[in-house]
Amino acid sequence: MKKHSLALLACLVFAFFAIPSAFPQATDWTKIAIPPLPAFHPQQPKRIELANGMIIFLQEDHELPLIDGSMRIRGGSISEPANKIGMLDLYGEVWRNGGTKSQTGDQLDDFLEARAAKVETNNAPDSTSISFSCLKEDFDDVFKIFNDLLRAPEFRADKLDLAQKEMNDAISRRNDDASGIAQRESAKLAYGANNPYVRQAEYATVAAVTREDLVNWHKTHVYPNRIILGIVGDFDSGALEAKLRAAFGDWARGPDWTKPEIDFHSAKPGYYLVLKDDVNQSSIDMVELGIKRENPDYYATQVFNEAFGGGFSSRLFKSIRTAQGLAYGVGGGIGSSFDHPGVVRFQMGTKSVSTVDAINAIYKEIDDLPSHPITDEEIKNAKDSILNAFVFRFDSPAKILFEKMTYEFYGLPLDYLEHYQAAVEKVTKEQVAEAAAKYIHRDQLAVLVVGNTAEFGKPLTTLGSVTNIDITIPPPPSAASAEKAPTSSNPEGKALALKVAQALGGLDKIKTVKSVHTVLAENEANGSPVPIDVTIVYPDKMHVSIPIATGTITVIVTPTLGMMSAEGGGIKDLSDSQKKENSEQIRRDLLFLAQHADDPAFIFAANGSEKIGNVDAAIVDVSGAGVTMRWYVDPSNGRVLSETYTAMGQSGPFQGQTDLSDWTTTEGITLPGTHTNKQDGKVSSVVKTTSIQFNPKIDPKLFDKPVGDGKPAQ
Amino acid sequence: MKSRQLAFFTLFLATTTFCAAQDLASFEKRITVKKLPNGLTVLVCERPEAPVFSFFTQVDVGSVQDPQGETGLAHMFEHMAFKGTDKIGTKNYPAEKLALEKVEKIYAQYIYERDKRVGRDDQKVKGLEAAWKAAMKDAQQYVIPNQFPQIIESNGGEGMNASTSYDQTEYFYSFPENRLELWAYLESERFLHPVMREFYTERNVVIEERRMRTDSNPIGRLLEQFTTAAFQAHPYHRPTIGWMPDLNTFSATDASNFFRKYYIPSNMVVAVVGDVKTSTTIPLLEKYFGRIPSQETPDERTTTEPPQNSERRVVLQEQSQPLYLEGYHRPDYRSADDAVYDAIADLMSNGRTSRLYRSLVRDKKIASDSAGFTGLPGNKYPHLFAFYAFPMPGHTTTEMADAIHSEIERLKTEDISDEELKMIKTRAKANLLRSLGNNEGLASELTLFQTRYGDWRELFHAVDRIDKVSKADIRRVAQQTFVATNRTVGVIETATPAKGDSTQGGAQ
Repeated sequence: MKKHSLALLACLVFAFFAIPSAFPQATDWTKIAIPPLPAFHPQQPKRIELANGMIIFLQEDHELPLIDGSMRIRGGSISEPANKIGMLDLYGEVWRNGGTKSQTGDQLDDFLEARAAKVETNNAPDSTSISFSCLKEDFDDVFKIFNDLLRAPEFRADKLDLAQKEMNDAISRRNDDASGIAQRESAKLAYGANNPYVRQAEYATVAAVTREDLVNWHKTHVYPNRIILGIVGDFDSGALEAKLRAAFGDWARGPDWTKPEIDFHSAKPGYYLVLKDDVNQSSIDMVELGIKRENPDYYATQVFNEAFGGGFSSRLFKSIRTAQGLAYGVGGGIGSSFDHPGVVRFQMGTKSVSTVDAINAIYKEIDDLPSHPITDEEIKNAKDSILNAFVFRFDSPAKILFEKMTYEFYGLPLDYLEHYQAAVEKVTKEQVAEAAAKYIHRDQLAVLVVGNTAEFGKPLTTLGSVTNIDITIPPPPSAASAEKAPTSSNPEGKALALKVAQALGGLDKIKTVKSVHTVLAENEANGSPVPIDVTIVYPDKMHVSIPIATGTITVIVTPTLGMMSAEGGGIKDLSDSQKKENSEQIRRDLLFLAQHADDPAFIFAANGSEKIGNVDAAIVDVSGAGVTMRWYVDPSNGRVLSETYTAMGQSGPFQGQTDLSDWTTTEGITLPGTHTNKQDGKVSSVVKTTSIQFNPKIDPKLFDKPVGDGKPAQ
Repeated sequence: MKSRQLAFFTLFLATTTFCAAQDLASFEKRITVKKLPNGLTVLVCERPEAPVFSFFTQVDVGSVQDPQGETGLAHMFEHMAFKGTDKIGTKNYPAEKLALEKVEKIYAQYIYERDKRVGRDDQKVKGLEAAWKAAMKDAQQYVIPNQFPQIIESNGGEGMNASTSYDQTEYFYSFPENRLELWAYLESERFLHPVMREFYTERNVVIEERRMRTDSNPIGRLLEQFTTAAFQAHPYHRPTIGWMPDLNTFSATDASNFFRKYYIPSNMVVAVVGDVKTSTTIPLLEKYFGRIPSQETPDERTTTEPPQNSERRVVLQEQSQPLYLEGYHRPDYRSADDAVYDAIADLMSNGRTSRLYRSLVRDKKIASDSAGFTGLPGNKYPHLFAFYAFPMPGHTTTEMADAIHSEIERLKTEDISDEELKMIKTRAKANLLRSLGNNEGLASELTLFQTRYGDWRELFHAVDRIDKVSKADIRRVAQQTFVATNRTVGVIETATPAKGDSTQGGAQ
C-alpha cells in the first residue's frame, strides 16, 4: 500500500477536521487538479454540392482500412397512404432484398457476405436511406452494388411476400411485451392515434401494399436534389469526389420534396388503461405534446431535463428510485424533435401494487416545481454535465459526419454545435423555471398504465376517470376475405341453406327452438376432458359454467352484461372484444343460422366448391345478425361438414375452423355430436356433446350478475 | 492518426487480404500492461483520436460466486458501487457508520425472527421490522444522495454504467481526458471504501429490475426457466438477478462480505483507452489502484456440470406468441474447439446467407427469425450452444424444432462449402477490425481477454484460431455436441384463449 499518495494524505487531513463538523465540506476529490481540455479542432468533412442538388460530405479517417457511407433521401412513412400503413417499412426491406435489375437480393447477399461487407436500406418517418460498409479494398465492388440498388432496384415480388409475412409476424407479437405496448400507446396518446408519426401497420394495411407501390415510390421520390450522402473512412477525398461526380453528376434533378401537413392532437387528459394480466409491474407513461427544436426555449429545456429527469442526479431519479425504491427505470422531460413537436414524457416501471403511489410521486415532483424551482446548484450541475460531456458529440470523424448530415437535412446551420454550447451556457435559472411552467401541464397529461389491475394497491379510478384502451389486433384480411361478407344471396345459396335446414330436421321444426341447454365435454389439444354446461337463448344470451379444481367458473353474456366469475374469487368484466367474441359465438351457431334460411335479412351465397375429405363440398358464404362465416356443405345430404370464420383469441384474431361430425338426432333435430375446433389450421380443441335439451326451463335469474362473490376486479 | 503510417497504410498495397498479426503489431506499440504489486492488472492503450478516454474495470466475479441463499448478491453489490464512499455521499461518515451498523444489527434480528421455523412471534417480527425501518430512516439523515454518480455526471462522464453477468462484473464510462486523475481517484475509492448506504431501498430497485426483465416479460420468464433446467449442478442454474426470496432476505452485511472476499486486486483488470500518455498514466494508476490491499485468492471452486443423459423440456403456456429455444452443453471458452463453435454460430446465424435464415425464414417461410449462438448463459464455465426460432403466424414450435434439427443434421453429415468456410474466416477478421475503432469497445475487449487469458493479445489470436478451423472440425464438433440426450428445450406456447381467460381472470 502506497503511503504517500497525495489523495490519501488529503483525505486523512480532511477526515481529521471533518469529524466534528455537521455541514458538508469540500472533500478531497475537489482538490484534484483538472487541467484545461486541450484545444480540439477536429477535422470537418468536405461538403460538395452537385449541380443536380445532391449534397455530399466526405470525411477521411485513416485509422482503419474501412469505408462506410450512408445516403439519406427525403420522404418517408409520414407520407404513405393511410390505407397502406407499413408500406415504407416494406419498401425499406424489399429495396435491398428485392435485388437489382441484374442481380437478385440473394445474389447480393452471397457477394457481399463473402467480403464481410454490407449494403442495407432502411426507412424513417421523414426519409429513407441506403448505406454500405466495407473493407477499403472492396470499395469499388460494393459501391457498384450500392449505386445499382439506388438507381435500378427491382423490388422482386417474392421478397415483398416474405417481408409482408415478417411484418404480420411482428404485428401478431406486438402485444407480447408490456413496455412495448406502453411505448406505442403513449405515443398515440401524445400525437393522436392517426398521426402519421405513430399510426401503426395492421394486417389489412400491410396486405394492401403491392410491388407497384414500391416501384412507384422509388420512381417518384429518389431524386438527387433530395439526397444527402456522407462517406467516412480510409480514402482520398479528391479521388473519391471524382468517382462520385462521375456516378451521380448526370443524374437529372426531380421535383423538390414537400413535407406533408401534419396535425398533432393529444388525447384528452386523464387516465388510460391497458389491462395486461401476465405482469407484476406496471409500465407508466405520462405524456403531452412537446416542442420543436427551433423553439428558443429549447436550451432551457435541455438544462431542465438534465436536472429534473435526466441522469442519476436528477430529481426524478433521486426521489423515485434512490429515495423511495419505487422504480428501476424512471425519467423523462420536455422532448423535442427537429421539425415537429416532440413529446413531454415521464416514464417508469413500478410493481403493480404501487402503481397509483408512483404516479402520485411523479405528480409531487411536478407540483413542487413552482415552489421549489430548479436551484442554482442543480443548474450548475446540469450545465456542467451537458458541457463537459460535449466533446463526446464529436469525438470521432463518423460522429461529426453524421451530425453535419443531420443539420443539412433539417436546414440548421452547419456550425450548430458551436451555437448549442454557447446557448446552453447562457441559460438562466429564470428561463429554466419558465420553460418548466410553460411546457409541463400537470392537468394536461395523458397518463397511460399498462398493468395488472387485479394486483393494484389502489384502483386507478382513485385518481380520476379511466378510459380502457382495447389493443386487440384487428383480424388479417386473408381471414376476412376467406369469408368476405357476401353482398346478396344467390338462388343456389338459398337452396343450399334450405337443404341445410332440412338436414337438421326441417325449417319449421328448427324454428321452434328458442333456447338450448347443452352439456359438452371439451378435450383441449393436450388435456383431459372438461365438462362445460352451456345455456343459450337465441339470439343474444349465453350462460356458461365450467368446473375447475378451485370451483366453478361462470361466464355470462347478454346485450347488457359481459362478465366472468370464479367461485371464491372475483367478478371480472369481459373486455369489449371478449364480449363481442362471445356474443358472436351465439350467432355463429349452425342451428341459429339455419333457422334464418328463408329470412331475407340473412344472406346465403353459393361460392363454388372445395374438397373436404372425399366430398366435393359446396361453399356457402353466410352473413347476417352481424356475423360472417363460410359453410362447406355436403350437397348430397345437406350436412355442414366444416365452418370457417374469424374469431378473437387472447392474442388477437385467428382464423377459426370447426369440423362437424358424429351427427346425432335428438327430439327430431339432427346436430353434430363432435366439433373439432382449429385455430390457424391447428387443432385447438375437440368438443363432444354429452346431452342436449331444446327449450329447457330456464331460471330467470340465470343471466343476472352474481352478487357478493368476492371483490370486484377493476 | 499516427497509427496509420505504422500499420495500416501499407497493408493493402501488397495484398488483398489483411491479417490480424499486423493489427496486433500496431497495438503492441500502443498497449502497456502492468501487474501492480497488489495483484491488480492495469492496461493502457494510446488512441489519440480525440481528447477523451474510456475505461473498463473488469472484475472476475459474477453471479456464479453468489453464496447459497444469497442469489443476486453480485449484482446487488454492483448497484452499491454507485452509492459512494466514506468521503463521497455522506454528511458525517463516523455518525453514519454507527447508524448503518445499527440498521444491520436490527435487520439481522428481524430476519432471524421472520424466518424462524418454529416459535415465531409475529408481534416481535412486526416490532423488529418497524425498528429496522426507523434505523434506516435515522441513517438516511447523513446521506447526500447520488453524490458519487453526480460527480461523474457533472464532470462530463458519458455512458456511465455497470453490468453483472454470470461470469463477471464490469464498470465503465468515458471522460474528457483532463479528468484522468479524478477518474483514477473515484474508481479506486469505490473499491477501497465502499459504503453500503441506502442498501435496502436499492434492494427494492433491484427487485423492480427483476420484475421488469424477468417476471413481466415472457421471454425473460422462459430464459430463467430454461437455464435453470439446463444446469442442475453448476451455479449457472441460478439467475444473476437473483430469486425473489433471496432478494427479500440478504443484507448489507452479506454484500460487504461478498465484496471483501471477491473484490480483491488479483481479480481486477483496469484498462484505459484513449488520448492518454502511457508514461504519465501508468504512475497515476499505480498511485491510486496500488492502494487497494492485496488479499489471498478465495476458493472459487464450483461444481462442474456432469454430463446430461436425457433431454429436458420446459414448456411455458403464455399469453404471448410462440418461441422455440434449445441448448446443448459444450465445454468452456478454453476448449481447443472454442473457435469451432464460433465458426458454427457464424455459419448458422450471421446475416442473410446464414443457414438458419435461408432455411427457416427465406425458403420455408415458417419463422420470422432464427439463429444459433454460443455463450448461454456465460462462457467462463461449460455452457450451452443454443438455437432459437420465432414461428411465423400459423406455424408451430414443433416445425421450428424439426427445421433446426435438419440444419444440424446437415452440419453433421455434409462438409460445409469452401465459400462458406472462407466467408466465416473473412468475417471474423473484419469483425475484429470493426471493433478496434472505438475506445469503449476496445477497453471492454482488452480487459475481458486480459482477464480470461492473462493476455490481451488473445483478442487477435482468436481470429487466427478461427482461421485454422477445418470442415472436418465442424462436422466432428457438431456430431459430438448436438445430440438429443445433451439437449434442453424451452418453449413458449400460446395459451388457448377460453380457459386461459377463466383461470387467470377474476379469480385473484
